Amino acid sequence: MTSAAQVHPIQGHEVALPVKIRDAAVASAMFAVPAAAAQAVIAYSGLEIAEPWPGRAICSLAFVRYADGDLGPYHEFAVAFLVRPPGTPPPSGRLGRLRGMRGVGAFIHWLPVNQEFTLECGRSIWGFPKELADIPMDLAGRVKRCAVQVGGRTAVEVAVRPGAPMPGGAGAPKVDAYSCLDGVTRRTPWTLAPSDVRMRPGGAKVTLGDHPVAEELRALGLDRARALSSTTVGHLSMSFDPAEEVAP
Amino acid sequence: MRRTALVAGAANGIGALAARRLAAAAWDVVAVDTDEDGLAATALRSPNTHVRTCDITETKDVADILGVTGAVHRLVLAPPPPPAAPEPPVDEVMREAFLGPVNLLRAALPGMLERGAGEVIVIVPAAASPASAAAAAAAGAYVEALADEHRGRGVAFRCASPPAGAPARLVLDEIERSLARPGEVRVAPGPRPGPLRGPLRRVLFGPGTAGTSAPR
Repeated sequence: MTSAAQVHPIQGHEVALPVKIRDAAVASAMFAVPAAAAQAVIAYSGLEIAEPWPGRAICSLAFVRYADGDLGPYHEFAVAFLVRPPGTPPPSGRLGRLRGMRGVGAFIHWLPVNQEFTLECGRSIWGFPKELADIPMDLAGRVKRCAVQVGGRTAVEVAVRPGAPMPGGAGAPKVDAYSCLDGVTRRTPWTLAPSDVRMRPGGAKVTLGDHPVAEELRALGLDRARALSSTTVGHLSMSFDPAEEVAP
Repeated sequence: MRRTALVAGAANGIGALAARRLAAAAWDVVAVDTDEDGLAATALRSPNTHVRTCDITETKDVADILGVTGAVHRLVLAPPPPPAAPEPPVDEVMREAFLGPVNLLRAALPGMLERGAGEVIVIVPAAASPASAAAAAAAGAYVEALADEHRGRGVAFRCASPPAGAPARLVLDEIERSLARPGEVRVAPGPRPGPLRGPLRRVLFGPGTAGTSAPR
């Protein structure tokens, strides 16, 4: 069911959909993790982990500085897993697995932010699992760095080294973002237009703390794990459409 | 403890972006400009951004702002928008682009020196005319003289002179990086020069941008 209201009253402001982000910067890294363990982490959503290789899933860690957008300025950290669209059967065979990756979405498992306006927007409009945290970030240096601290405890620290410049792509990629909050799983169409993109194999260092989410990531083998690839985006504009409830 | 940044020229351009980035990083931001609508756009949905509509060339206005802001940990002086043609008289350009920033700097600096900590960032206007070139040169010389005078007292001074058309985000990145290099005062935004970087610099920042960051 699509959200009926296209304008959401949040803290005295009217937030109209689609929400536009005019300027953000991102650093991220993708990791191959055991599919069974990843499936156990996201079991509460009812969604199925995508397996680009037998028994392996993809976990992505990303940190974002939103400098100009409809949700105000803030920092964000994301833990996401690639998932199959609800209702699609698991692909079989090598070619089937590759073809199956075309429609995958990103399930957002944890999304700490450092500002209350975006916290309320994210949770109430799309059901994104946002929570308040301190998120110091350095996106100006050669190595991009971020830490997430919750209640004075460090949950995770990520450093992403610079990669090689990538040519600009044509058009804006569209991705489905999935979330599950209070037992409701939702799909949010999400459009991205990145520029100043750099990418490399490996290139990320993850250090985990003692937060419960850090324990989950540790169980996936992410503490000081080698990344499949890492990416930095100097300028990113985005658009978030209304969320739609899905029944996996 | 939350840090406070005072950003002048925050209604548009690089000043607005500087204010938003600091707000994103959870600083308390005091955004100052004469353009009330522009300030409102900068502070939209940012509860930690506080706007003050005032003219920083007026000593009393500046004193009033400092009176309610409390300790300023970072002062950012962004250039006013380029003057419309025909260009205003030289004294008016100097007043806006040099004397105003000096006014605010002189008011905020004693508190930083007293605490032994602070960051002063002056972004000078691109030299679009002889008058703005004179204002930019005067601002640069003033910041360098202050840096010399107060060396070793805990306050970092940076003066950035981006070429016309330089992307604001790259200019701010370069300034941020320079703050990690103690003793540097002049910041010329863009990649550091190297055998392969000249062409890249020209692509990103336009021709005639061969300047370097000058360590002191």
